[in-house]
Amino acid sequence: MPLLHSAPAKTVEVNPLGERVTPLSGAELMAANPYRPWPARITSITDLTATEKLFEFRLIDEAIREAFRHEPGQFVELSIFGVGEAPISISSSPSKHGFIELCVRRTGRFTEVLHTMQCGDIVGIRGPFGRGFPFEQMKGHDILLVAGGLGIAPLRSLINNVHDERSEFGKVTIIYGSKNPSEVMFRDQFEMWRHRKDFDLYLTVDHPDESWDGEVGLVTKPFEHLELDARHTYGAVCGPPVMYRFVIDEMRKKGIEYDHIYCSFERHMKCGMGKCGHCQIGHQYCCIDGPVFNYWEAKNIQGSM
Amino acid sequence: MTTTELSGIGVRGQGRPARVVVASFASCFGCQLQITNIEQHLMDVLGQIDLVYWQLTDSTPMPEEFDIAVIEGAVTTEQAESQLKELRSKAKAIIAIGSCAVTGGVPGMVSRDFYERPSQVYPKVPHACGKMITPRPVSAIVNVDFETRCCPIDPYDFVVMLQRAIYGSNKLATTRTLCSDCKRNETSCFFEDGTLCLGLVTSAGCGARCVNLGRPCLGCAGLSPSANLDSARQCCERYGVDARAFDERLQLFNQTNPAVEDSDR
Amino acid sequence: MLYRVIDAAELPLLVSAFMQQYEVVAPVKRGRSYVFDAIEHPEDMVLDYPTTSASLKKYFLPPKETLMRFNAQTNRVAEHTLEVPPRVIFGAHACDINAINRLDQVFRDGTYNDPYYCARRDATLIVGISCTPADSCFCHLWDADEARFGYDLFLQDIGDRFLVSISSVEAANILESACNPREATDQDRIDFRHATRRRQASFNPGIPDIQDVAMLMDAFHKDDFWEELGSRCLSCSACAAVCPTCFCFDLQDRLSPDGKQGERYRVWDACTSPQFAQVAGGHNFRPEGRERVRHRMYHKLNGFLANHDRMLCVGCGRCVKACKADINPVKVLEFFKQKGADDASAA
Repeated sequence: MPLLHSAPAKTVEVNPLGERVTPLSGAELMAANPYRPWPARITSITDLTATEKLFEFRLIDEAIREAFRHEPGQFVELSIFGVGEAPISISSSPSKHGFIELCVRRTGRFTEVLHTMQCGDIVGIRGPFGRGFPFEQMKGHDILLVAGGLGIAPLRSLINNVHDERSEFGKVTIIYGSKNPSEVMFRDQFEMWRHRKDFDLYLTVDHPDESWDGEVGLVTKPFEHLELDARHTYGAVCGPPVMYRFVIDEMRKKGIEYDHIYCSFERHMKCGMGKCGHCQIGHQYCCIDGPVFNYWEAKNIQGSM
Repeated sequence: MTTTELSGIGVRGQGRPARVVVASFASCFGCQLQITNIEQHLMDVLGQIDLVYWQLTDSTPMPEEFDIAVIEGAVTTEQAESQLKELRSKAKAIIAIGSCAVTGGVPGMVSRDFYERPSQVYPKVPHACGKMITPRPVSAIVNVDFETRCCPIDPYDFVVMLQRAIYGSNKLATTRTLCSDCKRNETSCFFEDGTLCLGLVTSAGCGARCVNLGRPCLGCAGLSPSANLDSARQCCERYGVDARAFDERLQLFNQTNPAVEDSDR
Repeated sequence: MLYRVIDAAELPLLVSAFMQQYEVVAPVKRGRSYVFDAIEHPEDMVLDYPTTSASLKKYFLPPKETLMRFNAQTNRVAEHTLEVPPRVIFGAHACDINAINRLDQVFRDGTYNDPYYCARRDATLIVGISCTPADSCFCHLWDADEARFGYDLFLQDIGDRFLVSISSVEAANILESACNPREATDQDRIDFRHATRRRQASFNPGIPDIQDVAMLMDAFHKDDFWEELGSRCLSCSACAAVCPTCFCFDLQDRLSPDGKQGERYRVWDACTSPQFAQVAGGHNFRPEGRERVRHRMYHKLNGFLANHDRMLCVGCGRCVKACKADINPVKVLEFFKQKGADDASAA
């Protein structure tokens, strides 16, 4: 056997700060340690409802900010050091660069702290993660978007993306259901859209008050008078777990194909990279295989619905 | 003990250090004392809070306003019960520390047939302690936000919990039981030589400290809300341990737990 | 693969040679069982050991590992460097090497390479050794009784010699400098074949061989069996702690006592842990032991197979011993064997 020469054993180092001799691009920096959150400043906070706020963040590092590109339906891991990390879906459209909007409900220990933060405060962001809505594939088709409650948060990214590239799509129908008028988010934007000819918009609430002049009833109600070219329509659904089956049933009744119906699932994605296991649904990982699945895929995952 | 979720919401964001009181009910005062055992870090911890009352060191009355109440000890008198309710009404967050406060602990051992006990011990029951009621953990009377378990507490665990109360944290209180800690520590299982150990049903979190010292778990961290007592009894039988000994051992720290109280005697 | 033969008497020389450059980790006796631990002398290790109580994954995915430090006041990442010393794991069984190969598929997936795992993997050499199956071993059922890759050297015990498979340059160098490796003779090859046959023949025949278990699990997803099995679960996650392929973890923050700095670390977690699938707001997608135990078994015997074309179980049998409630994959196999017997008698 020939005598072989190799380098002696050496210590291997990992440094989350990722300092290197050669300068790395933003994408390379992010890939070098995907656990590393990048500092982002809160640049705007809008109260949407009593429990929901829309936060706008700007990544501080320019290379990272430039490299950050997302698809509608993807999420980020938001860090408040000491408090922890939480997966939050991106509400802003990929067509807008330079900032990230997250619509956050005050619902747990992390979001409780986030809601106390002010403009100018620093958080950490890593991502984007996951598989979003197939935007390119949807082009050239009619679109039916159905959101219930906080489900508008991830769907707004798609809605605004469609809006910004409106000419690429056929008929666009949006159904957005809430419990009460006070829980309707982005109401100003949607009020404006109600008068537009290029969007069929149905805002519906379960329990109206005297101020409400939209639809009344469950989010499935507008389906009664909905006219669709089902074979050329993509559906997208996001909302509380109980809503999916009913909305998907309606979409199926209208004749939309199994694999043209997309839904976004909620799980606790802790790492965002298909490793930590927390977001597993059956054999799939919500964080890398989803969070957006088409209905055919979802039907094939044990425990998805 | 209730199995409801601890709220775990911190008091952060008020622009001044959190005002903390430390109060004690039926206990040995050991957990309060244990806090001082963080020694070199004590000033670091105190630097983050405004410690407005500490029962161990204060003879002045407790102030009217504060943010966090740290509570040691089991509730054993009517006076303690009303004082606890008052603490709850004033505090934004309650941290229960030590077995007595979290599980009823040693004072809770006598909770069964409690009212017959004092006269069995004392010819004339003394009044100095107040009107006695069946010993209960803090969470049986008021909502608890954070818990530092074990007898005694680990002072570093307490600091972590205090910081979670101050700054907030999305970490959940663990509900898994202890055995996986022994697997991580690679210590041998007591059941394999037929020795009873309460790790089967006890909340994890201490890192299996007693087992690391060669002693089986006595359950001072309290039963996990997910404790599976029936299955644990079957495990005992499978490994040649008398299930009655298991039930008896549970009385040491978990007598007031409804799952133990309700189980067949 | 390159093969050479060394005498068993040369083994301490090989270990000593590794010790000059590497920390050497090997099986040692501790209490009633065996564990992997760093050794000081070649004679400290016990190479004819039954499966260790915990697996090798701690050297690649430690039970608790700091990922970064942070400044809590500025909310920014602070300086922190993980240094992984060069290490040799000496005496790994085939099942454990196959388990590491599966971890590689997750942590070196090509999309999101885990820098911490990769650093440890890159700094570690693995020397495997052949073994004799214990009663709880069923690696052969999942094709994990032989390590085809994932090691630097693999020692096949053929009596007073070892047939050594040589996979890496580093290990080849050390082998050659420390021992006197020679070409295998016909007798060596005959002895190797006999040793292999002996191992294959000594598996516990009581463990049912159900090769289509993944498909059967899909068909019996709603069977009462899962309630029987899962209702026994003690929620301790000992199974995941000893499992060489369980990799689930949690990410947590901890502040320094003064609250100014802190660390973000990962700790082992387990899908059998009650809050594992809980989301913000408190909803738990798998609140019952039945659902959690079933999920774990599915990920092991069905789900990972669907994604990676191999089981996430290597049949090491550690969970068989660790689970005090007697929940393990063998019970799943026995259930399907019983189903088959019931069907046959019903027909």
